[in-house]
Amino acid sequence: MIKEELININQEAEKEIESSNDLKTLNEIRIKIFGKSGSITILSKGMRDLSNDDRPIIGALINEVRSNLENKLKQKEEFFKNQELLNKLENEKVDITEPSKDCEIGALHPIARVIDKLTDICVELGFSVVEGPEVETDYYNFEAMNIPKNHPSRDMQDTFFISENILLRSQTSAVQAREMEVRKPPFKIICPGKTYRNENDSTHSPIFHQLEGLVVDEKISMADLKAMLTIIMKKLFGEDTTIRFRPSFFPFTEPSIEVDVSCPNCHGRGCSTCKGTGMLELLGAGIVNPKVLEISGIDSKKYSGFAFGFGLDRTAMILNDINNIRYFYKNDVRFLKQMK
Amino acid sequence: MKVTYNWLKELTDINVPAEELASKLTSAGMEVEEIIYQNEHLHDVVVGKILKIEKHPQADRLVVCQVDIGKEIVQIITAATNVFEGAVVPVSLPGADLVNGVKIQKAKMRGVESCGMFCSGQELGIDENYFEGAGVDGILILPNDMKIGTPIDQALMLNDIIFDIGITPNRADCMSVVGIAREVCALYGIKLKKINLNYDIDIYSKETVRDFVNVDVETQNCYRYMAAAITNLKIERSPLWLRARLNAVGIKPINNMVDITNYVLIEMGQPLHAFDGEHIGGKQIVVRQAKFGEKITALNHNTYDLDESVMVIADENKPMVIAGVIGGMDSCINNETSTCVLEGAVFDLKSIRVTSRKFGVRTDSSARYEKGVNIANAEVGIARALHLVSSLKCGKVVRGIIDIATKKNESRKVIGSIDKINEILGVEIPTKDMVSILNNLGIETTLQGRNLICNVPPFREDIENDNDLAEEIIRLYGYDVYDKIDYKLFKNAYITEGCPHPRLNLERAFRNMLVMKGFYENISYTLVSQDMTNKLLLNDERTNLVKLANPISEDISCLRSSLAHSLFQNVSYNLSVGNKNLKLFECGRTFISKSSNELPIENNYLGMVACDENFDFFYLKGIIELLLNKTSATYELVRSSEPYLHPGIAADIIIDKVKVGSFGKIHPLVAENYDIPHNVFYGEINTGILAQLPEKKFHVQNISKFPIVERDLAIVVDEEIKVGDLISSIKSSCGKLYYDVKLFDIYRNANIGENKKSLAFNIKLSDMEKTLTDEEVSQIVNKILKSLTYKYGATLR
Repeated sequence: MIKEELININQEAEKEIESSNDLKTLNEIRIKIFGKSGSITILSKGMRDLSNDDRPIIGALINEVRSNLENKLKQKEEFFKNQELLNKLENEKVDITEPSKDCEIGALHPIARVIDKLTDICVELGFSVVEGPEVETDYYNFEAMNIPKNHPSRDMQDTFFISENILLRSQTSAVQAREMEVRKPPFKIICPGKTYRNENDSTHSPIFHQLEGLVVDEKISMADLKAMLTIIMKKLFGEDTTIRFRPSFFPFTEPSIEVDVSCPNCHGRGCSTCKGTGMLELLGAGIVNPKVLEISGIDSKKYSGFAFGFGLDRTAMILNDINNIRYFYKNDVRFLKQMK
Repeated sequence: MKVTYNWLKELTDINVPAEELASKLTSAGMEVEEIIYQNEHLHDVVVGKILKIEKHPQADRLVVCQVDIGKEIVQIITAATNVFEGAVVPVSLPGADLVNGVKIQKAKMRGVESCGMFCSGQELGIDENYFEGAGVDGILILPNDMKIGTPIDQALMLNDIIFDIGITPNRADCMSVVGIAREVCALYGIKLKKINLNYDIDIYSKETVRDFVNVDVETQNCYRYMAAAITNLKIERSPLWLRARLNAVGIKPINNMVDITNYVLIEMGQPLHAFDGEHIGGKQIVVRQAKFGEKITALNHNTYDLDESVMVIADENKPMVIAGVIGGMDSCINNETSTCVLEGAVFDLKSIRVTSRKFGVRTDSSARYEKGVNIANAEVGIARALHLVSSLKCGKVVRGIIDIATKKNESRKVIGSIDKINEILGVEIPTKDMVSILNNLGIETTLQGRNLICNVPPFREDIENDNDLAEEIIRLYGYDVYDKIDYKLFKNAYITEGCPHPRLNLERAFRNMLVMKGFYENISYTLVSQDMTNKLLLNDERTNLVKLANPISEDISCLRSSLAHSLFQNVSYNLSVGNKNLKLFECGRTFISKSSNELPIENNYLGMVACDENFDFFYLKGIIELLLNKTSATYELVRSSEPYLHPGIAADIIIDKVKVGSFGKIHPLVAENYDIPHNVFYGEINTGILAQLPEKKFHVQNISKFPIVERDLAIVVDEEIKVGDLISSIKSSCGKLYYDVKLFDIYRNANIGENKKSLAFNIKLSDMEKTLTDEEVSQIVNKILKSLTYKYGATLR
C-alpha cells in the first residue's frame, strides 16, 4: 500500500516539478513534499508503524523517492537560476558600437618609423648605429669625401653654408670619415639623420632624411654589397624583393652605382608608385674610393669597403603610399592619424 | 648635354633604333633622360606652291587658293595676307598635329571646302634665327627652289633625334658629341671616325698670325692659349645644316663665325672665342687677372665690376672677355667684322668655377671649363673651327697659330691588377673582355702577366687606379652580372657586433610611451625664422641662433634653438585647419651658435605639447614622471624660469644640479605670439643627458607576510602649504611602518575658511613582523597629525 502511495507521490511530484514555471512554485512544491506536513514527511513519520521486515524495504524506497525528487527539484531550480542569470545578462547588454573611452592612442611619424625599422634590421645584421652633427665642417662633409673645394662634383649638392668652412651637412656620408678616424676594421655602421640642401620645390624639401651605411673589412667587393643590400631590402620591403645595379657617380665611391629596388607595390609589374617601370630608384652605393679610406687613415691596400645611402623620405612615401613630400613636415594630425 | 643622332652618326658607324641606343647608353652610366623626336609635330606638312588665289565668295577676309603639293592640287582657304600666287609655303594637310596643338582636318569655311592650312614659322616651332621668314607675322614664305611635295621636316632639316643625356661630374670629356660618340663606340665595339681637321691656309698672303695679334699669358690660371687669325671674313647666315645642328641642341644660330665656335664647342667640347681683330687694342692679347676697379660690359648687356680673383682676356688697355665665362660687347664679332682672331684656350677649372659663381653667370663655355677641358683639346678645337671656316668659305685662314702652353699634355700609364679588379667586383670578368672594353674606350691596353698596362689618354683624367678601371670594365661589361648572384654570398665583415644607439633607443621608448598616451609624433623643419627668439621671449644663450649665409628665404634662415618654437607652430597650424585636442611631440635637435666659424652646440631634446580641454599641469607632470621613471634619474622639481612658460605653473627638472628639462603652462604672451590658446602645456627633456645615465637597476626588498592596513586622513591647511612637504612629513612620521601615501582629494570651500584647502590622504602601513592592530595604527595617525599640526598648522577636518 505504502509502496503504491510512494510511487504515486513520486509520479505526481515529478509532473508538478516538470510543469512548474518559476522558483516560487518550485518552492511550494518542495513544501508540499518535504515540508512539515509534506507527503514524504508524513510517510516517513508512518515508518515506525511498520513491521520490522517492511521497515528497511519501505525506508529504502522512501529514500530513493526522496533523493529522486530532491534531484529533480535541484535540477529545476538550477534551470530557473540559470534562466534568471541569462535574463539579467540580457538586460545588461550594451551597444558595442558606442565609441571607446579614454584610450585614444597617437601615432609615430612615418619617417621616424622607417628609421626605427631600418636600424632594427641593420643592428640585427651587425651594424652599429652612429650619429654625427647636423652642422658640419666643410672637411667632413666634402673634403674627406674626396670632394675638394671648387670641384665640379660640389655642384651635385646645393649646400647651405653658415660660413666658409661650416655648413649644414648635405649628406649623411659626412659621418663616414668621422667614424673611420676612430674605428678599426672590420666594422659596419649606419647613420640615420637629417640632411639639408638648398632646394625647395614640389619634389624637394630643403630638409630631408638619409641613412648612410658603411662596411670596411678586407676584400669587400661589389658582390658583398649586392648581398647585403638584398638582405636589407628584403627585410624592409618583403621576401620577394629584388635589387638591380646601374652605373652612377659619387666622388666617394668607385665604382659607384644606383640601386633599383623592385616596386613593393606591384612586385615589378609596373604601377603608379614606380611610374610603370616596376623598379624604384632608392639608393646610391658603391665600393669606398680608396682615396677616401686613405684620407681617414685606413690602409687601402689592406682594406676595402662598401657604402650605401638612401633617402628615407622617399622610402616612407613608398611604404605608406604617401604621394606628397610636403605632408612630412607640416605635421597635420589629419595626415599622421592615418598611420596609427 | 644634348646630342643629336645624326651628329653621332657622322662620327661613328652606328645605326640602331634610337630607343635601343638610349637604353644602352643609360645602362653604361650615360643616362638618357629624354629622347626628343624633332619632327614629332611635323608629319603631314609638305612644301607646296600657291598656283592661284581667288576671293572667297562669302567672306571678304578670306581667299581661296589652289595649291600644288606635288602629287595633287588641293584647295586651301586662308586669311593670311602675305601669300601670293607663286609663293612656296609649308602646307599642313588633314592629319597634321602641329606643335601648338592645332589638328588639321578637311573643313568647309563659309560653304567652301578647305583641305589644309598654310603654316607660319611659329607653327612649325622655328624662329627667324633658324630660318629666314620664320619670324614674320604671317605665313612662312619658303625659297623658290624647294622641291614641291617634300615633307617639311626634310625640307627644313628638322628630322633629327635628340638625346638629352645626364653627364656625371667625373666625365667632363662627355660634355661633347665626340665624347658621347666614344662611349657609343665602346658600347658597340666600333671605331670612332676620323674628324676632319684639315683647312686651307691663305698661301698668297705674306701675313702671319703675328701681324694680327700678339699674346702674353700673365696668369697661372691659363694652361694653354692658342690664337689663329682669319681675314676677308664675310659674316652671314650659316648654311642650314649647321643651323639645324645648333638649333637641335638648343643653341640659337647667330652668324657663320659665331655658329662655328658654338658648333665646335658642342662637337669637341672646346670653348672658342672669336674677337673682332680690329677691336683688339694694340693688337695685343694679355691673359691676366683683372685689376680692382676694372669693369666689363658683357654680351648679356650686364656690366660687371672686376677684381683680382677674376681672370680676363684683355687687350693693351682693358678687359675684353671674362676668361672662360662670357665675352664683352666691345670686341665681339658683328656684321661688319672682316678680321677675326680666334681663341682656343684651356683654363684652371677652379678659377672659372669661382668666377662663374661670383657673377652668377653660367654659359655653355663656363659649364665645360669648370668641369675641366684637357690641354690637347684646344688644338683640335681650333683646327676643327678653321676647317669649318675654310670649307664654308667664310674667310681666309692666316698662316701660323700662336700656342702658349704652361702645362704639358701627355698620356699617362696606369697599371691595373686583374686580380685586384676582380676582387673589387666580386665577380670574374674574362681578361680578354677587360682588355677589349678598355681599348674600345680609347684606353690603349695591353696584357702583361696579371697586369693591365693602360695608356690613358689625356681626356680621361678620371682614370687613376684599379677602382677606376674596375668601374669602366663593369659598366660596359654590364651590371646585370650581379642579377644572377646569390645574395647569400656575403662572406666578409660578418663578425661585427651590432650596437644600437643609446639615445635613439631611449627616445624610441619615450616615443612609444607618448603614442600610447595619445600623442602624435612630429618632425618639423629645424630651419626657422629669426623671430623665434622674440616669439619665445628668450633671453639666454638660446638667442644665439646659427644663421645661414645663403638661406632660401627668411622663414627658414636659422637653426632652431628650442623645440618649443616648432611645436607651438605645429599647434597653431593644426588649429588653423580645424584639428582639435592636440597632443604632439617631437624628438630633434636644437642648435646654439658659439661663433660662425666653429661648430655650434647641438642638443637632443624631446619636446611635447598639449592643447586639450582635459589637460592640465598635473597631467603633464604625470607624463614627465612616466618618462623619467624609464631612466635611472633621481631628480627634483623646482619652479621654472623658462621665459616662455607661465612663471607660476611651470617646473624645471634638475638632476645633479643640471637642468635637464622643464614643463608647464605656456606664458600668455607667448600664446598670443603664436596665436594659440592660453591653456597650452609644453614640456621638454634633454634626451642626450638622460641617455648618459646608467641603466635603471632594481633592488628588491622583502615583502611582509602580513597584510597592509590603510587609513584615510583629511586635514585643513593654509593654501601656501606645499603638498610635497606634507607628504614628506607623513612619510617620516610613519617611520619603518611606511608603505605608501597618496593624496586623493583636494577641496576648497568658504566653509573651511579663506585661503585654506582641505587635503585627504590615503596612508598605507605595513609591518614585517606582525599584523598591525587598530590601536597601533591609531597611534601612528595621531603622530602624523601632531607633526602636521606642529609644522604646518594643520587641523583635522
